[in-house]
Amino acid sequence: MWSSEKSIILSKLGVLFFMGLVLAAVVAAPWLTRWFVEFSQAGLKVEEAVYFMGTIYVGFVPAAFLLYSLFKLLRRIETGQVFTDENVDLLRRISWSCFAGAGVALVSLFYYYPWFFVALAAAFMGLIVRVVKNVVAQVVELKNEADYTV
Amino acid sequence: MPIIVNLDVMMAKRKISSGELAEKIGISPANLSILKTGKAKAIRFSTMEKICKVLDCQPGDILEYRPD
Repeated sequence: MWSSEKSIILSKLGVLFFMGLVLAAVVAAPWLTRWFVEFSQAGLKVEEAVYFMGTIYVGFVPAAFLLYSLFKLLRRIETGQVFTDENVDLLRRISWSCFAGAGVALVSLFYYYPWFFVALAAAFMGLIVRVVKNVVAQVVELKNEADYTV
Repeated sequence: MPIIVNLDVMMAKRKISSGELAEKIGISPANLSILKTGKAKAIRFSTMEKICKVLDCQPGDILEYRPD
């Protein structure tokens, strides 16, 4: 029978999978970028692979921070701490990580224009998480009020 | 908050302990402590009614408005 506990475990597995994917991308960046430049048929020069590596390495920072915050959030939800100020803070961090990723992709536009779509997607994701954060912050306020009503 | 809870003053006047008051008005000692220490965000009319009944006082004896 499907339950909320199993759903959280599935989400955690998803986060762990993406953590592995991000780590693999960083470790394999030299080969990955060379392969992309040679076989993408995007008319890129082999020397330009270094720019892609730069984007991957710089983008790793917000991506790792985002996944760590997401994992922490799931662990807190698992222990029953759902509508708390700490979770609002974690959602804020996740949102800003998305915007930081969008920033990295925007800077990378100078050598490869399709990064624009990555920037757009990351910024849109950041916006959605920000709205969710605003909703959760209001719920936390309402919960505190209810908890302190005698 | 400019609303001051003078419950402890009224309790001292009526010589009633926290535990006794909590039991008589039917709330937990923890909730009474929240009310006494001014941490409460709101008070139900039903709670206020019971407090007034037990302490034989008016709501104004318990709550006071002091501008900041």
